[in-house]
Amino acid sequence: MRTVTFLPSYRKIEVARGSTILDAAQRAGMNINVVCGGQGKCGKCIVYVQVGKTEFDRQKYLQFFTEEELARGACLACETTIQGDLQVVIPESTLIQEQKILIEGKETEIEFRPAVKKYYVTLQPPTLTDPSPDLTRLLWGIQKSGGPVAEKIYVPLEVMREIPALLRHSDWKVSGTIALVPGGYRLIDLQENDTSKRIYGAAVDLGSTTVVAYLWDLVTGKVAGVASNYNKQISCGEDILARVNFARKNGLSKLQSLATDSINAALTSASNTAGIDREDIYEVVVAGNTVMTHMLLGIDPAYIIAEPYVPVVQRALSVAAARIGIAANRNCGLFVFPAVSDFIGGDIIADILACGMGERQEISLLIDIGTNFEVVLGNNEWMFSCAGAAGPALEGGEVLFGMRANPGAIEKVTIDPFTLNPTWGTINNIKPRGITGSGLIDTLAELISACVIDRTGRINTGIDNPRVRKGAHFPEFVVAWARETDIGKDIVITENDIKNLIMSKASIHAACVTLMKEAGVTRHDITTIYFAGAFGNYLNKKNATIIGMIPETDIDRIKNIGNGAVTGANIALINRRERKVLDAIAGKIAYIELNAEPSFMDDYTSSTFLPHTDLSLFPMVQALLESCRLRKGSG
Amino acid sequence: MGFDLQFGWTGTVSEVVLGRTRAEGGTRSVSYRIGGGTTLPFLDTDRPSPSPLIAFECCDNPRIWSTIVRDYCGDLVNDPAEWAKTAETVYGADMVRLNLTSTKERNFSDVAALKKTVESVLSATTLPLIIEGSNEPKIDSEVFLACGEAGQGERLLLGTAEASRYRSIAAAALAYDHSVIAQSPIDINLAKQLNILLREIGVARDHIIIDPYTGALGYGFEYSFSAMERIRFSALKGDADLAMPMCCAPADSLTIKEVRDAPADARDEMAVQWEVYTSIAAAVAGAEIICVRHPRSVGVLKEAFAGLKSHSHSRTAEVR
Repeated sequence: MRTVTFLPSYRKIEVARGSTILDAAQRAGMNINVVCGGQGKCGKCIVYVQVGKTEFDRQKYLQFFTEEELARGACLACETTIQGDLQVVIPESTLIQEQKILIEGKETEIEFRPAVKKYYVTLQPPTLTDPSPDLTRLLWGIQKSGGPVAEKIYVPLEVMREIPALLRHSDWKVSGTIALVPGGYRLIDLQENDTSKRIYGAAVDLGSTTVVAYLWDLVTGKVAGVASNYNKQISCGEDILARVNFARKNGLSKLQSLATDSINAALTSASNTAGIDREDIYEVVVAGNTVMTHMLLGIDPAYIIAEPYVPVVQRALSVAAARIGIAANRNCGLFVFPAVSDFIGGDIIADILACGMGERQEISLLIDIGTNFEVVLGNNEWMFSCAGAAGPALEGGEVLFGMRANPGAIEKVTIDPFTLNPTWGTINNIKPRGITGSGLIDTLAELISACVIDRTGRINTGIDNPRVRKGAHFPEFVVAWARETDIGKDIVITENDIKNLIMSKASIHAACVTLMKEAGVTRHDITTIYFAGAFGNYLNKKNATIIGMIPETDIDRIKNIGNGAVTGANIALINRRERKVLDAIAGKIAYIELNAEPSFMDDYTSSTFLPHTDLSLFPMVQALLESCRLRKGSG
Repeated sequence: MGFDLQFGWTGTVSEVVLGRTRAEGGTRSVSYRIGGGTTLPFLDTDRPSPSPLIAFECCDNPRIWSTIVRDYCGDLVNDPAEWAKTAETVYGADMVRLNLTSTKERNFSDVAALKKTVESVLSATTLPLIIEGSNEPKIDSEVFLACGEAGQGERLLLGTAEASRYRSIAAAALAYDHSVIAQSPIDINLAKQLNILLREIGVARDHIIIDPYTGALGYGFEYSFSAMERIRFSALKGDADLAMPMCCAPADSLTIKEVRDAPADARDEMAVQWEVYTSIAAAVAGAEIICVRHPRSVGVLKEAFAGLKSHSHSRTAEVR
């Protein structure tokens, strides 16, 4: 065994010789940023070995390091094997940081009809003249207090066993919680005295990257607390595919418990904020993508990712939360959103519920951008959907200075077309550390408007400006000089970064076009474009249109719904009737497999241009760019 | 009964001028105005389509040139000027395409020699020229400017612009009023994108020739054919960014297995046949310029194109 000490925290861990530094760091509980899942592809897990013997093929990964980093002996944690006892410095930039997460749902007026309700009843003790059984007495009391008809309430054995002692010990004053589950009404909990004000429900967005939980007071119908944190499964792989592969290697139970842990962590911190006891949470509603909900329920997801890509379950599920380890009331119920296919999961059904596109005659286009992207086109009668890999570029992967929406990420950029000096805004207004997806989209749109790049994204290195330079590997544009940053080096966007971004935006646009063709509609037929996903809220709609990520439409017809998954989960939690339509929505959506569409590659290639090879699809953008070019020409 | 050959097309392939005669300010004995088509080639229509131009390819350093061509041409291959003259006077080519293969030598830097070569070829032949420059980013700017300058007033066709490097060739074309070959890898969208890029840095549509990239027959030409068909359909339907004449160079056909493995006494014939049939297929797909490397291919193709035309004429007569 070898001892590895991580600096600056001095955390120690013993591992076998030959393990990677990444293994050791994960076991020591250090949250290392591994976008590629530890395959040596993203170059984000830079560490410095101060003392000790390691093996690392630095020549192979030169592209990830600056001169300065090389001089300090940088290596990649995932590709460095431990030979002797080590001291390893993990720089702050290598650690996953607190993330800015959307917690604002859409303001929707929803009828308040939760599925769980608590009734306080005061019962007459039995007498010789009124000898009816305890259960009858209790259920009758609940019915008289406005609850469901006594005979229709099912009582599980474990609650039944508690009834006689509880009733007598409480002097016949108890609070009973009734849940409406698919089988009917169910008495899920019985407590002494009046606790009827203490009943809460949680709506959870279980994302592959982040988990967001809203805690609702089910008496007042108000949000009691909100919390979010990373999905702890990240330690088993950054993307879904890596995690399914992890599950295949006997890792399902670990992934299951990590999913539960992630939800529990969010529930705990929301409960703490609200000052309530988790025992008073009686229902949890979860919206997540298909793989996530399979994993949460401990259902083997292996068949979802291999041809012919079949999920085990599509319908909405109601189960006992305790069975999968959710830390709430022991009889808390769990409602899981239905899915459509491998890639269209409950999170998208929740988006559809949140934006209301399934209720209207007008045609809407919904685009959810996260680790992957999903697109839904349709109205109250029909819907088409598809999904694809947006590529990690929009989340900061495969981009030299790309980063997630963490503090210090440049999220807004404008560039003066003449001086080429950028103005940027960062998250939390601190010195920049990198650029996040929305900042990258702004940069791309501004660079094309300023004629720094051509329509294929190639930088015109003939421009005489210090910000435009040849770069070590690719031509690049300097967004922030080293002295302005928090990381001590120039933050640049390279031609290669731009290429990756264009590939991402092209696949999203081509997916939209594929669905529009399938439905036989044009961009003029689309009334509203909805953007969902954490990314959507910070997105500059105009710039997203300029780069041709979405079909061109009036900017005011584009709406950000933010985290639609959690909004949808909130709606389903506070109005149980809304759940009834979910299976119908899921059943109505036709899923288009992009890989099987012969025209997709053609649409993709034509979208790998700014904004598009067919400029007539983007008349406003075309006019704008022409005027930019003319202005540059005359200036 | 004939077929209804009215397709309702409204677009026209743009016209591109190749070469300049003395009257036009150059020194060529002939200049061509290609393009202008409003339908597919070799159809039974009132307006017969012109035969594609046949350009003969020569080079200034035969080290990497096909041995079949070297064996056939003998010492000529060491003298690009004489070789170009022979292409005009003996082989019967319509144009000469000069490949500056010397730029592919390691550490090439003698740009002045290139200029001389271009000048000597221009004085040896009176045909319009295609000049194929360097594809080395470090020197291509200098190479294209030197060629462009040497051919000033002659309306050369400069090759080859690609999406990853088009600025220097476009700069030379703009500075000295030459045209440009825009090559993309067998894809209609990429072809259109490159044309837009060229247009946006100032190259006019009537100074661009599309090279869709020509695979050898049996070795991917079906993809080329399909890309060319789509490009031409788009042009005829009115897409101005794809309405340029097309140029095909089936040079790959000289190096395919069937040619390499042919018995020594049949190899030459096999090479000519493969080059010719690939060229005919390209012509049928709509190519306005065909570039060949085997001298015998020139004559065979001339005959074939004449036959295609007379055939279409006679059919027209029958229908009437």
